[in-house]
Amino acid sequence: MGRITQYYHATSLEDAFAKAKQLGSAAAYVGGGVELVLRRNPEITTLIDLSRCGLDYVTAVGEGIEIGSQTTLTTINHSADIRQYAGGSLAWWAGHIAHNNLRDMITVGGVIGRNQPWNDVVPHLVALGAQVRLFDGAERITPLSAYIEAKQPGAIIKGVLLPAGNAGSRGFLWRFTRTQQDISTLHFSALVSYDGKVMTAANLVFAGRPGHAALYPRLSEELVGKSLSHETFARVAEMAPDLVEVGTDLRATGEFRRELVRAAILNLEEHMTGVAQ
Amino acid sequence: MTISIMVNTVERSFDVQPDEVLLDVLRREGYLEVKGSCHSGDCGACTVLLDGRPVASCLILSAKADGHAVTTVRGIGDQAHPHIIQESFVKNGAVQCGYCVPGAITSAKALLDENPDPTEEEIRLAMDSNYCRCTGYEQQVEAVLDAAAQLRKGDKK
Repeated sequence: MGRITQYYHATSLEDAFAKAKQLGSAAAYVGGGVELVLRRNPEITTLIDLSRCGLDYVTAVGEGIEIGSQTTLTTINHSADIRQYAGGSLAWWAGHIAHNNLRDMITVGGVIGRNQPWNDVVPHLVALGAQVRLFDGAERITPLSAYIEAKQPGAIIKGVLLPAGNAGSRGFLWRFTRTQQDISTLHFSALVSYDGKVMTAANLVFAGRPGHAALYPRLSEELVGKSLSHETFARVAEMAPDLVEVGTDLRATGEFRRELVRAAILNLEEHMTGVAQ
Repeated sequence: MTISIMVNTVERSFDVQPDEVLLDVLRREGYLEVKGSCHSGDCGACTVLLDGRPVASCLILSAKADGHAVTTVRGIGDQAHPHIIQESFVKNGAVQCGYCVPGAITSAKALLDENPDPTEEEIRLAMDSNYCRCTGYEQQVEAVLDAAAQLRKGDKK
């Protein structure tokens, strides 16, 4: 890191926010801290630690399940409430991403705050329709997808809210990597509701393309109201490579990623067919 | 800045730089059983327990550990009083060059504290953070299964 001269243990959100406001771009909040160490930013001279602000919790609330921003992936994996949520996809994923040591360090607030294109937690939260609870002097809630689009520097991520309406839905995720611990060349997450005859709702999210996680409502519309037939998914698999914005980087060409987009939809078909059976 | 950490049940205070990682502080203070290798959180050689949970000490800022308890492999057991997991590693041939072993044993300890009867799959998942370049994975899994069985019988510790 090199130029960090102060490490500040904030005692409350108000305390943390006041410190950050005073220091501006020279300060950064510490979530899990993993990326702060790995990806050093010479502009930052003060780290503001939020671990004493009471943000490590998973709570069932009227609106759904709230996860405090300092909650680690391991805690999410162990949560009985999250294991019951949307078929348990988020809990399962939180127990398999990266590796065991990192899962005990990475926090949900940290991954949202950093939101790197290869991040594999944020796209799944977006698919689940998560909202983010922010604090910038006062509390407010905004959809995570909107937060990603219009991130406001300085606001503290207090927690993430998983909406209650997804109880009967199924989460799904598929990603292409070279090894189990590799970052994603392409990440696909979905949340699909199925009433036994037709799909009644769908959120489809692609990430690692190499841009950030994004919803594709046009593809979702193609699924809603349709049965789980091969024709339904084949049509979406044909459309998706042209609709999903993918690019070329060191990891893969855009052409290769478009093929992965197609494969992702076919994997969703296999998953949903399995669920229906 | 000064931080206080309970290392292997002993309260210690260390003067650290705000950007120093826990691995560097522990080794500077004589805890040489904590090994550094990749320094990027990939290999697991530097694994320690922070409040009982395994973490990569090369990626955790020492200031973040202030006020918490750290356990190194020597806190689990030493040559004079080895833990049953350490004995099982030796007995099952899970130690070759030995460099990764402190981290592997530390991960195994965290697993068995939480889950005394893990499946082979659960062991592999709990130790997916620990690379062994001598390719000793099979023996490590066998060692943890063996240790778990002995611990369940109440043989030791």
